[in-house]
Amino acid sequence: MQETIALPNSASSTGLERLRRSLPWATLLRWLLLALGPLAIFALFLLTVGADPIKTYSAMYFSALGDSFGLAEVMIRAAPFILGGLATALPARTRLVNVGAEGQIALGALATTFAAMAIGDRFPAWVTLPALLVAGAAGGALWAGVAGLLRTRLAVNETISTLLLNYVGALVLIFCVHTVLKDPESFNWPFSPPFADAARWVTIGGTRLHWGVIVAPIAALLVWYFLTRTHWGLHLRVVGGNPEAARRAGFNVERIQVLVFLAAGALAGMAGMLEVAGVEGRLRPTTGVGFGYVGFLAAWMVGQHPLGLIASSILLAVLAVSGDALQITARLPASSVNILMAFVLIGILARVGKKNAA
Amino acid sequence: MLEAILAGAIRSGTSVLFACLGETVSERAGIVNLGTEGSMLGGALAAFAATAYTGNPYAGVLAGAAAGAIFALLHAWLVVTRNANQLVSGLVVMILAQGVTAFFGRTFVDKQIVGLNTQPIPFLSDIPFVGPILFQHDILTYLAVPLAIALWYGFYRTKWGLVLRAVGERDDVAYASGYNPDRVRYAAVTLGGALAGIGGAQLSVAYTLNWVEEMTQGRGLVAVALVIFAAWSPLRAILGCYLFGGATALQLALQAQGIPISPFFLSMVPYLLTLFVLLLVAQKQRYAMPEGLRAVFEGKGNYSTQNR
Repeated sequence: MQETIALPNSASSTGLERLRRSLPWATLLRWLLLALGPLAIFALFLLTVGADPIKTYSAMYFSALGDSFGLAEVMIRAAPFILGGLATALPARTRLVNVGAEGQIALGALATTFAAMAIGDRFPAWVTLPALLVAGAAGGALWAGVAGLLRTRLAVNETISTLLLNYVGALVLIFCVHTVLKDPESFNWPFSPPFADAARWVTIGGTRLHWGVIVAPIAALLVWYFLTRTHWGLHLRVVGGNPEAARRAGFNVERIQVLVFLAAGALAGMAGMLEVAGVEGRLRPTTGVGFGYVGFLAAWMVGQHPLGLIASSILLAVLAVSGDALQITARLPASSVNILMAFVLIGILARVGKKNAA
Repeated sequence: MLEAILAGAIRSGTSVLFACLGETVSERAGIVNLGTEGSMLGGALAAFAATAYTGNPYAGVLAGAAAGAIFALLHAWLVVTRNANQLVSGLVVMILAQGVTAFFGRTFVDKQIVGLNTQPIPFLSDIPFVGPILFQHDILTYLAVPLAIALWYGFYRTKWGLVLRAVGERDDVAYASGYNPDRVRYAAVTLGGALAGIGGAQLSVAYTLNWVEEMTQGRGLVAVALVIFAAWSPLRAILGCYLFGGATALQLALQAQGIPISPFFLSMVPYLLTLFVLLLVAQKQRYAMPEGLRAVFEGKGNYSTQNR
């Protein structure tokens, strides 16, 4: 912005600049543009296949925000995005890149299912659900721990290893639902037996919304508190700021990095637990697929801020839920909504990136 | 059986090799492109669609290259011009490609095409054992290895290769020598995407001969991993990609033989193998890594935070 001052027509541009600063409306307008641009582009896509954009958009709007059922779906979807996003945001503080929430969610769901099958309905829900949450967290932590150890002990880059482990994790899950976890009464369909009632989160008001979703914002709050208000959070930032300096100052950098990865995996694993014990009630090959990547993007949208992540996850959840309406009204594949989601992210990428360059 | 597995390794490794070579070009210029997955997917659909419309699989391959290049161009714009985080931008391009191909691919799901036929090379294909493995393939498969050699030559024996590597190592040096690093990056990423698109085309027009939503199944991401395995060398990429292809072929062969190993376990083999090999070479490739990539892999995400 500084170079505009030297230009002859700087009066108008600095005037605009001043106007922009004095009016929050102008900023709001820019954000509105950022939101409407992708909608306009996706409308063009819809026109090419002869779908009515206005009708489609209103169907999408009503499916996600029109009634309490839609809102419930948004909340259900946002929760794993938040937890998957935290699994990205926490390691990011130590400059570690975790693209593996996808696989960690899968292993969390898997571990939860094993635990749920072992426990059955032997205990009341207030014992079973926390136990399952711990199991899910452990499953995710195990998966992330592999990447963490590979990075610190064997210098395998964690970006690549977490990406590869996503595929392995998904296949482990699929293997289990086809074999050891297969429901004997399922007529050969690959899914686990249903969870016992004690292993299910109670739903609210006749919707699919379940109490488990509050785990996500609580986790976000805890991570935020941990990062900004405790000396542990400070350690993390020191390690992230300059690992070499931290090492010379006596920090055990490797140990901190592994612990961070374990914590990240635990957070993602809990997302897997919410999916099986909250939404689905059993494990399927499709459980949680894609949530980890969206969480990664949600975390990045808000600069890895744990509380901002709640907002970005809800936004992406609205888009994801409204995508299901595409299938019903326009008979398009549900993943078509990825186009809309991608253009929203491209808009933000193009803006935010430039700012960081300065 | 061994013959079938080795021939299958070549057949299924080729698409990954194209993508891997493309990503090597891109990373040599200092840009990691996880959107390689998207370029492959876009290439696979564009090639399939163009072949279905024109009846000419070569037109399909061209369309595949173009589609791959377009997705890569978007990545280049975001990371070079807008200085966006490379990993994020790559993932976004991947998500966009998944959406776009699902959207337009819907009508192609049940279509049938006449793809690139296998063209046995006269005489050579009659050699016992070696012939069926190496010389009974489609034209893209024959081109993959020569392309890798050409790229090696290009990187190390031509002026443009030197400029490309200079941009990836120390872009200020390239700049001081009178080259525009950003322009080189644009060219490298776009070329890389075109190659990934050809890889996708090989998949849909020569290998499977159909279109399925998300048919690349992470091959583009595997290609990115194999670039690191290959320590940014096009020649070692050949080895890596055909190892991956071999694992895939082994899985198919064992299934066909009815050997009671779960197919899901076998599907893991390629990914685990890649991981295992990365583990073996991890220490060594730290030194082979283009300097400019360090910022990306060590968490900063965008290149221009390094030297300028």
